[in-house]
Amino acid sequence: MKKMERRSALATIGAMSLGMAAPKLAKGERLAEPYKIKKQSLKTDILVIGGGTAGVVAAIQAGRAGRKTILVENGSQLGGVTTTGGVAYPGIFFAWGQQVIGGIGWEMVQEAVALNDDTLPNFTVPHGRQHWTHQVRLNGPLYAMLIEEKCLEAGVDLRFYETPTQISFQKNSWVVQTMGKGTQTEITCNQLIDCTGNAYAASIAGFNVLREVETQPGTLMFALGGYDFQSLDLPLIQSRYNEELKKGDMVKTEFYNIVALLRSAGDNVQHIKGADSTTSETHTIANIKGRTSLLKMLRFLRTLPGLEKTRLIDMQPETAVRETYRIDGHYKITQEDYVTGKHFDDAVSYSYYPIDLHDEKGVIPNQLNPGVVPTIPIRALVPKGSKNFLVAGRCLSSDRLANSALRVQASCMGMGQAAGAAAALASKLGKSPLEVPLADLRQLLEAHGGIFPTKNRKG
Amino acid sequence: MQRLNSTYPILLTSAFAALVLLLSAYPRFDKIRYFGAATLAVPADTVLAHTVDFRDTVAGSTLYQVLSKEKYPLAYYREIRTGVCFDNKCRLLNVVLYWNPTGRYLGFELPESEYLSKSDHEPFVAEEYQRLHALLADSLSPLSTFSYNEIVPSTTPPNPDVDAVSSATARAVLEYVVPGAAYTTYKLWHLLYGPAQEEVQRLTRQRLSPELLLMMLDSPALGDQIWALNHSRGYLEPSSALRQRVLSFIDPRDYNLAERAINALSPPDLESTSLQEVLLDKFQTGNHSLKKLLLTKLREAPALSTASQQALARQLTTLSGELVTSGLDLYQQQPTLDPAAGRVLSELLENDNAYISKKAYQFFEKVPLQDKLVQKRLGQYRARHGLSGTSR
Repeated sequence: MKKMERRSALATIGAMSLGMAAPKLAKGERLAEPYKIKKQSLKTDILVIGGGTAGVVAAIQAGRAGRKTILVENGSQLGGVTTTGGVAYPGIFFAWGQQVIGGIGWEMVQEAVALNDDTLPNFTVPHGRQHWTHQVRLNGPLYAMLIEEKCLEAGVDLRFYETPTQISFQKNSWVVQTMGKGTQTEITCNQLIDCTGNAYAASIAGFNVLREVETQPGTLMFALGGYDFQSLDLPLIQSRYNEELKKGDMVKTEFYNIVALLRSAGDNVQHIKGADSTTSETHTIANIKGRTSLLKMLRFLRTLPGLEKTRLIDMQPETAVRETYRIDGHYKITQEDYVTGKHFDDAVSYSYYPIDLHDEKGVIPNQLNPGVVPTIPIRALVPKGSKNFLVAGRCLSSDRLANSALRVQASCMGMGQAAGAAAALASKLGKSPLEVPLADLRQLLEAHGGIFPTKNRKG
Repeated sequence: MQRLNSTYPILLTSAFAALVLLLSAYPRFDKIRYFGAATLAVPADTVLAHTVDFRDTVAGSTLYQVLSKEKYPLAYYREIRTGVCFDNKCRLLNVVLYWNPTGRYLGFELPESEYLSKSDHEPFVAEEYQRLHALLADSLSPLSTFSYNEIVPSTTPPNPDVDAVSSATARAVLEYVVPGAAYTTYKLWHLLYGPAQEEVQRLTRQRLSPELLLMMLDSPALGDQIWALNHSRGYLEPSSALRQRVLSFIDPRDYNLAERAINALSPPDLESTSLQEVLLDKFQTGNHSLKKLLLTKLREAPALSTASQQALARQLTTLSGELVTSGLDLYQQQPTLDPAAGRVLSELLENDNAYISKKAYQFFEKVPLQDKLVQKRLGQYRARHGLSGTSR
């Protein structure tokens, strides 16, 4: 009997083990094979790393120039700061009554404006000290969809959720290892464009990158509601905020001006010191800091008269970042170059924005003098010692003050198109970007609506 | 003055009307008055009084509409009598505000013997009146976002460790107000750009005509031109002077005006073959941004004429990128593809740029054309790319 029991017990254990290995399947279910990392090798003419403001334009330009193009983006959608960061006013395309940044960037903005029944600002009237009156406001999610459609339409192969882990130059090609969710890909390309904003690809590829001791703060974009600004007792609110600051319960550098916060209902008012999107770890810290700061402020606001019903209406998924690393390029654009509107012989794009350095005391833009429109030389987009490599976006070679203006989205779109065109020609001609004849580059850019800087521009 | 419902405006006498139309061309020296450029430089004839709910605390609910002999609205004005108070002290603000028919600020006037004063009761000097006039003319002034409470000066000394809001804000406000008269500036600006401005535009819209729009388009103020373009849709009869004038704004030198002028064209307008031809001429000479706007607009046309299809096809073969794609999309929606235009478009199949030739191939797969030349080029494209049959 005992033997029987033992045998029976063993049989039960066996059945249980069998049951774990082969679960009872309901109708329609099947036992899936364990997931294996998908490894593959791809070849392309041009690889763009980073699908933000500059990267999207660079990839579309390369695709429309007829080159096989892959765009790797580590997030879930395109547009970067404009969309995921929520700064959906991409800067200034017109200077002194004339369009200075056009082409693909403007095409995307224009279509987003039209599809949302928005109205463009009047660019003909000078903005004076209020440059924001020339900002074009976009519907961020709509813009994200539109630019994705344009990439696909240009034949760009989009690879979301991937990031480079290794980059090496072999036999006149770049070989880039990327890692994604369940993917491990080797992409061999003739030309590589780093549009990460952080010079991340340039750094992995072994080129020097530069960084300020103290970088500009980042900003988590959000929207508040549930109060009537006009009826608030602002002196009282300010006084209560001052008390919190004195106690150390709030951090002044995060919300420098509480009245500005309430007036703008959260639009671009928070500062997160040291925000850095370069790696998963630094970006995690920036995101947590941004959200912690906002939550604390929200709870505080709800203790104030007239703000008891303050609500968080919207919040971006990421803290947007202004400044991290820059390449050490063949030319470094200086503040002097920028504010004097220096025309470079190898200028490939315009830029237009006031010097706009954010620090612990907020920001006081320094407007350009009438008629001044800075230019960007292609040398500032090429790391020293590189071949077949370009950058576009805020990580271009520039000093800190020049970068505070160059980093703005419209300028990044302009240089993105220039980089895409230069890479396309370099790939076609079997050259490195700095060897591409400027006349050819100009012709290609202008054929695609880009505005190529000319020495005798009349402002 | 008797008040009537706004649907029954009071008709004032012509003689009075002539007196109250106070444009800069007719200065009167017994009153303090500052006026900018008028939208329409036409003599006044009549004044109508409209009763309006201004949704503010200022006494009176009358908005006066100044009309020309032809009944064109020339200007609007509102008499403001209100207190401007802070620190429990009030001063009377007695002023007449004027608008152009497009809602743009025209000017202000003080009743006889009246003057504006500052918080210390000192009267305004000429420079301060001029500054007020300039500040009120700025429709984009940050005053739109400031709260009335932000104008309040601090009654307690600021904490040295932190920026007190009033001192910080006072600095921010200062450049948008007349010093010592922040309330007055703030209040007048908000009266100008509040519900009264909307009512001005609503009343003008009731009197719109092609003739009035044509005159507005000749205004010296860009804002008036844009307003008129924004309201021209539906008034553009073929061969009309207004249509000609609107089309003249489609010029690459001013993107804003061009964009608004193109926007004024409606699908029924675009049935006109002559209009299509004009737009294609503009397309040929326009820059990239203008070309893009025109292609988008032409998609609203029920159909492109044969001549337009052929003219556009010739231009498309010289273009690149998105313009080619948009152009092919335009042909794809045509009820009939003109064979001659199709033959020209088939040149794109031979384009060196793989992106363009592929777009052309996809186009001819969707819009088949039984034409020998087109079929030959399609066959060659397929052979080059190892394709057979359709790509769909």
